[in-house]
Amino acid sequence: MFKFLKVLVKNILQGPATEAFPLQPAKTPDRFRGRVTLNPDLCVGCGICSHVCSGDAIRIIPNEEKTGYHYTVWYNSCCLCGSCTYYCPTKAITMTNNWHNSHKQDDKFKMAEHHFIPYLKCDGCGAPIRLLPPHLATRIYAHSPVDIEKIIRLCPSCRQIATAERQGELNESNPE
Amino acid sequence: MQDTYSYIMLIGAALFNLLIFPGGLFALGLGVLFKGLDRKIEARLQRRVGPPVIQPIIDIIKLSGKEAMIPETAQRPLFQSAPLIGFIGMAVCAALLPIPGVSGGLPYMGDMLVYFYLLQLPAVALMIAGSSSSSPFGTLGFSREMTLMFAYEIPLLMIILAVAMKVGGSNFAEFSLMNIISYQEEHGQFITNWVMIPAFLAYLFFLPGTMGVPPFDIPEAETEIVEGPLLEYSGASLALFQLTSAIKNIVVLGFGVVIFFPMTLGGNIAVNILWFAFKCFVLMLISCTFIKSATGRFRIEQAFGFYLKIPAVLALISLVLVWFNF
Amino acid sequence: MSFLNNIATKSPWLFRINAGSCNGCDVELATTAFIPRFDVERLGCKYCGSPRHADIVLITGPLTLKIKDQVLKVWNEIPEPKVTVAVGICPISGGVFKGGHSIEGPIDRYLPVDVNVPGCPPRPQAIMEGILLAKEIWLKRIEEAERKGVRHVQIS
Repeated sequence: MFKFLKVLVKNILQGPATEAFPLQPAKTPDRFRGRVTLNPDLCVGCGICSHVCSGDAIRIIPNEEKTGYHYTVWYNSCCLCGSCTYYCPTKAITMTNNWHNSHKQDDKFKMAEHHFIPYLKCDGCGAPIRLLPPHLATRIYAHSPVDIEKIIRLCPSCRQIATAERQGELNESNPE
Repeated sequence: MQDTYSYIMLIGAALFNLLIFPGGLFALGLGVLFKGLDRKIEARLQRRVGPPVIQPIIDIIKLSGKEAMIPETAQRPLFQSAPLIGFIGMAVCAALLPIPGVSGGLPYMGDMLVYFYLLQLPAVALMIAGSSSSSPFGTLGFSREMTLMFAYEIPLLMIILAVAMKVGGSNFAEFSLMNIISYQEEHGQFITNWVMIPAFLAYLFFLPGTMGVPPFDIPEAETEIVEGPLLEYSGASLALFQLTSAIKNIVVLGFGVVIFFPMTLGGNIAVNILWFAFKCFVLMLISCTFIKSATGRFRIEQAFGFYLKIPAVLALISLVLVWFNF
Repeated sequence: MSFLNNIATKSPWLFRINAGSCNGCDVELATTAFIPRFDVERLGCKYCGSPRHADIVLITGPLTLKIKDQVLKVWNEIPEPKVTVAVGICPISGGVFKGGHSIEGPIDRYLPVDVNVPGCPPRPQAIMEGILLAKEIWLKRIEEAERKGVRHVQIS
């Protein structure tokens, strides 16, 4: 019956377990799922992140001249599920451990990450493309003799042709 | 001429008792300080840091500046006067409190029966508040408060009778607090007397009930009936309720100290005031803070059964022992 | 008087309104109060049961059709000056329930929200940051009310 007294005495002896949070920064785990952030160099504009986003927080809208697209993440709709980082083929979108999201109502629509990502021109046909990220290209063409530096600047169809031509050249020079 | 002079002196003393010491400012200050200490220690017992000790004062300052809302359907005169009834009752109670070795309370009035009646007033005020606020939760709180009051009054009455008969001898009862103090100075403290120890234990159980702290905060259960009678109060009226409960703490703790342990430390007034406050504080620690930080809440019928089974029986043992002159 | 106002803001009493939340944010709110590690009581806060006692209102949930009227009613019962905090992404934008057939939110269509704490659910520390922001706004409100000479007794 008097077990609680033992607990109380233990509690007094151990002292408070409270973090001094508002006075000192709080401890945050490294893999804490906070705000998402986009690396615009790696984004290829495939749109899978926007497709899987449960909170409908990611918008990808091409601009009027079709020279690029606007990429917007609104933190106020992001449910921190991490689906976008899981599905992103180039790992352009990642999660930081920044959780300082509280803001006043005036800043409600400023709580977003916005990038304008311009298209490049395909070296072969001039179609608007995004650069194939080099680390991805080295993985895809690991067993192929193509020149990676050239191939990442091509659109998918030109890339197919270029790969086939390169393969053909090799076959001619080395028949067996 | 002599008569007029003594009347003025008497009224002056009464006003001093009512407004400054031991009622009024002294009881208020000590009560609010005890509330803060209580919260702080409770937090420490639960491994938290807890609010600053002056937090109750801050709360009261804030509440007195807030908008006060009165429900349309409330009985306005009753609704607005309920906090005053409790507060005045407790202020008078504090003025009557004799502090051993320092003051005798209001002259000729320090009487346990007066206490017995005045101690009901905060509970009655809560009942009026609950029933006049026209809120279903208030009504529920009203019925719970009444049930609980009946439960803890029974042991209190028996404790008072036991003390009175012990002091007065078996033939007649002595209710004057000053006489109780002087009796104990002669014959030893009641807390060291085995006949009175059951009554003291019963008083320890009576304290949390009357102070409305867990596990007996059934009438103001905020998670069940959203603070019950206090539901509709806001602003200054709510602050008045808080002040009432702060003074009530001092009154019931001081009453316990006076009837069970009025020992003084020499003749120095300041030392005796501190000693009195210390005794009250220890009583609060034992009966409220420790229990409250480790328990949940009783249901009303459990609390009723508890008061009839344990404190009432303990008080009855003391009463019977005193009756047979042990 | 500004001294007294400063003191008054050290005692924010919190009130929770659940506007159809999934209880995730409610659990985090309870966490801030009851887990020794966070201990919101240290800031003088107290969760009160009655809307009449509250200073800072914490709203969770996307404001469903069924609960809309009750939420607005309870919100109106809270005495001025009050500060409204939207906790979680649901009251702010609709969150994962955005566009549902039974969702009336976001909540700032109906109530003047002052502070937003996004997250699903937000961290307890983030909620405490939100409460600190709300305290600043509350101080401004008190001073404003004092300047205008708004007086207190109101019959509702």
